[in-house]
Amino acid sequence: MLCEKCGQNPATVRFVKIENNNKTELHLCQACAQGYTGFAAGFDLPNVLASMFEHPKVRSGSQGGKECPTCKLTMSDIQRAGQLGCSDCYTTFRPEINVLLRRIHGSTNHVGKVPATSHARVRIGREIEEARRRLEECVRTENYEQAAHYRDEIYRLEKELVEKGGTHEGD
Amino acid sequence: MKETSSWMAKSGPQGDIVLGTRVRLARNIRSIPFPATAERDQLREVLRLGEEMVPLLKKLGEFSFLKMAEVESLEREVLVEKHLISPRHTENPQNKGVILGKHDEISIMINEEDHIRIQVLEPGLQLEQAWQVANAVDDCFEKNLDYAFDPELGFLTACPTNVGTALRASVMFHLPALKRVNQVNKVLGTVSKFGLTVRGLYGEGSDVWGNIYQLSNQVTMGHSEEETIEYLNGFTEQILHSERQAREYLMEENRKLLTEDQLYRSYGVLTHARSMSSQEAMELLSDLKLGVDLGIIQDIDSDVLKQLIVQIRAAHLQKMMGQPLPAEERDRLRASLVRETLSK
Repeated sequence: MLCEKCGQNPATVRFVKIENNNKTELHLCQACAQGYTGFAAGFDLPNVLASMFEHPKVRSGSQGGKECPTCKLTMSDIQRAGQLGCSDCYTTFRPEINVLLRRIHGSTNHVGKVPATSHARVRIGREIEEARRRLEECVRTENYEQAAHYRDEIYRLEKELVEKGGTHEGD
Repeated sequence: MKETSSWMAKSGPQGDIVLGTRVRLARNIRSIPFPATAERDQLREVLRLGEEMVPLLKKLGEFSFLKMAEVESLEREVLVEKHLISPRHTENPQNKGVILGKHDEISIMINEEDHIRIQVLEPGLQLEQAWQVANAVDDCFEKNLDYAFDPELGFLTACPTNVGTALRASVMFHLPALKRVNQVNKVLGTVSKFGLTVRGLYGEGSDVWGNIYQLSNQVTMGHSEEETIEYLNGFTEQILHSERQAREYLMEENRKLLTEDQLYRSYGVLTHARSMSSQEAMELLSDLKLGVDLGIIQDIDSDVLKQLIVQIRAAHLQKMMGQPLPAEERDRLRASLVRETLSK
């Protein structure tokens, strides 16, 4: 098939546009497609994304009816919205997402900033707070056996926190 | 709120061609679904976390926090025209917020497409500077929030086009000479091959008003933030070079008179018209800025023109008058604002 725009080169890129349940397709050659996506003219991100989701490997995932345990979205919900529902979608639909990321970015590897150690620090900090709260509760109800368990837990977490290079208070 | 944001009030490096630089980082909080999927109380929680961040930003300057639902609709439009928030951030304002730097150089949208969108705006070409500021804001947030981050994929975002660094760096160019010599498409048309994207900063649909283009990176995986910035800088150099060449061409001996005549005619219309649409004003101001930058027109301050580009927009005009105005009235007011400003 020849490019529908210039009519000269073979069409290698397919744009799918879905509007009011009507699907229209546009077949372009590499050169025309670049013009097509390069400028705001006709560049409609959700549609381009939708067309990327049309890839056979992505589609096969969407037919399984798999559902994200956190936000309950399925691959076809994501496809419709052009967006993921939560960070766990990236785990749930990893194979499909990887195909998509390779098409968008030419890579599936993050090279760049990594949120220091705060990640672990924030999590441990929260766990310490929770353990302290429970410890106090145990002391109040005179459940000393359980209290000792939480005391040890807090000790362990605080040690872990120091190893991660942070202090819980005021960091 | 100030009349003009600092990045549009004055010119910066390469200010004859580059109006401004923008860097934005998208961030989300682990364990809370992205805004489009989150429940109302989860969004409220994100907004609360956002508000809590304000005092922690102190070392980076003075900040204020606005809940979008408490901002008047005209004021919201003004924020859009200043590029501090996106148009979609004005829709369904419930549980949306924005943290603004004192000089509007930093804006942090809460609960837009992602939980947190850190944006830094600088006048002229200042990609490294803008990235460093955005990075510092991010460091501040990161110490206190548990980000949705995957060691392999990077920062997780609602849209897969942003995942990875979640960095979008943009340069706003004024390219009137390339437009005049019909080379804009040739110069900008190739960018998508290089993982970049370009669009008009103003205008409706595919129209680009006032020859102002925004060049941004599209790819956010496989390259670090610094590499992305460096790459965009390199491309910017090329565009600057092409525009400068086109400007020299317009000033060559046999074309100079024609160029001068055309630009002075636009100046004439700007100083005498009684009614003007946004689009017409943008095109004429573009001509006038070119005239000033080429040294043809000398009694006009280039910064004043830059400010006018924002001030002539609909919400700014209406805010100036303190009320909503019909389109004809805005056109009249726009023409008179331009006349008065240029006659000062």
